[in-house]
Amino acid sequence: MSAPLLVSRLGSRLGRGALAFWLVLPLVPLLLWAAADRWSAPALLPQAWGTTGLAEARAAGAGAAAVRSAVLGTAVAVLATPLGALAGRALTSGALRAPGLVFAVLLSPLVLPPFAVALGLDVLLLRLRVPAEVGLVLLLTVAAIPYTTVVMRAAYAAHDRHHDEEARLLGASAWRVVRSVHLPLLAPAVAGAAFLAFLVGWSDYVVTLLVGGGRLVTLPLLVGAAASATGNDAQVAVLALSAVLPPVALLVVIGSIGRRARR
Amino acid sequence: MSGSLQLTGLTRVHAAGAPPALDDLTLAVPAGSCVAVLGPSGSGKSTVLRLTAGLDTPTRGSVHLDGRDLAGVVPERRGMAMVFQRPLLFPHLSVRDNVGFADRVRGLPRRQARERAEHHLELVQLGGFGSRPARALSGGQAQRVALARALAAEPRVLLLDEPFSALDTGLRQEMHELLADLRLRLAPTVLLVTHDPAEADALADTVAVLAAGRLQQLGPMRELYARPRSLAVSRLLGGRTEVPGTVTGGRHRSALGELELPAPAPEGPGVLVVRPEAVTLVAAADADARGTVVQVRRRGLRALVTVEVAGRGTEPAAVAAELSPGEEVAVGAEVGLRIPVTARCVVPPAGLADAREGASAHDRQR
Repeated sequence: MSAPLLVSRLGSRLGRGALAFWLVLPLVPLLLWAAADRWSAPALLPQAWGTTGLAEARAAGAGAAAVRSAVLGTAVAVLATPLGALAGRALTSGALRAPGLVFAVLLSPLVLPPFAVALGLDVLLLRLRVPAEVGLVLLLTVAAIPYTTVVMRAAYAAHDRHHDEEARLLGASAWRVVRSVHLPLLAPAVAGAAFLAFLVGWSDYVVTLLVGGGRLVTLPLLVGAAASATGNDAQVAVLALSAVLPPVALLVVIGSIGRRARR
Repeated sequence: MSGSLQLTGLTRVHAAGAPPALDDLTLAVPAGSCVAVLGPSGSGKSTVLRLTAGLDTPTRGSVHLDGRDLAGVVPERRGMAMVFQRPLLFPHLSVRDNVGFADRVRGLPRRQARERAEHHLELVQLGGFGSRPARALSGGQAQRVALARALAAEPRVLLLDEPFSALDTGLRQEMHELLADLRLRLAPTVLLVTHDPAEADALADTVAVLAAGRLQQLGPMRELYARPRSLAVSRLLGGRTEVPGTVTGGRHRSALGELELPAPAPEGPGVLVVRPEAVTLVAAADADARGTVVQVRRRGLRALVTVEVAGRGTEPAAVAAELSPGEEVAVGAEVGLRIPVTARCVVPPAGLADAREGASAHDRQR
């Protein structure tokens, strides 16, 4: 192996190592805290190990909050993914007169401060007597659409429509084309878009707090409440981990879908 | 399996106000025959296929298959299959499942579809390739699979949209032989689009020359080579010699002198076109015209020479001649030209061409 190649490989490995370290580092104290019954200041490691944090988190309603977050994330993903797909398809179809403008409008939720938007729309939703849960899903769906649109737009830009035409000519109905050609080819992008939309619902704090009025307790709200109190670091660590791990697991699943599609 | 296709007055205007991409095309593709639509890029030839397949809707005109009007019939119910320039294999399926796609869609059980797919893969000499992923094929193999996939759909008409133009010369030759073989075995009705006269010549029974959306000429390739109706057709088929002059009393007057014509031609200005293969270099005494060699280009064993003939009071004329193998001549040599009477063909000059071509195209269609 030549010297420059060796150096570049080494550099690449070092880079990847540093990146992994950067991502994993914050999780280390969390993991330690989650399993610590007692860990006072100068000690490098906890003095007493145990499951007090877990018990406290469960007592605080972590299970129910996680279920609520999952339902919220799923609902947002289910709504925002097809809408993003439709938007992405329309933006790349050439049928729109000003695709740039439409794209800007679809992206605007990213630019506007969510606090202001949520506060204003909360009043509107209250006046219209929309139930808090429905309103919350609607608002978060709007917040997720920019992400799903960006992902699906890129996917459609790379998608060759001639594949669909070929399938039609081979006898497939429009629906069959969607099922047998379109979706399999776009599956990695759809999974990626759905994942991002799920995260918007799963990890939202501000909008849930404002629209739910504090009665709708999701995992981020629980983490926030627990973290603002003192003396329960173990419980906060358990709650934080339970907010981080499910999306990571989901990401692994989606990554494998992408790999299978590329094979 | 093969149906007979009839296109009548087919016209497509993509955007209001724009010139039509295809203008009033009438073309018959008898069952079991292969008709090629030959034209330069932008001539509207791919539009012909898209309208036939139902991927686009004609602005005017109709498509009939075995006498049935296909207006409003969706592409999947037209009984046609198309092979595009790119193979467009479904990348998430194996080669076998690509070929079996049409069978699966029409409800055949998976096992049966796969058996039939194997049979069609053997037809294109790719037996044993079934379990490979579609992405793992070379360009030529992928295009063979695309052809097998189209054949497996048992189309009444097979549409080929420049299917071999992305392949290198050797592979293209192989594909031509394969298609000729498949025509013998299966006798499908084929509508082929190409920009390559050699391909049209190799594959088609009848060739329709299309330029700027209009049918210029229709006939067997031999006839198009020998009797082009316009400068556009002559140029598209590789004609090089264009000698402007006038026709009076069945003779063409130009820098080449007065040449007798094999068939009556309209009186007045006319351009003499001659295939380079028909022209021979001879001794001055037997010559129809005399001139100087101004260019020699190699074409394998043969040489293509350009001979300039100085006119008396007219512009000099350039005549291209293809020499027989081994025959050599140097630039600057004085040579005599023999242009056989049967090889002489007069077409309207460029300015008049459009009006007359339009009229003649209409005449043919009536």
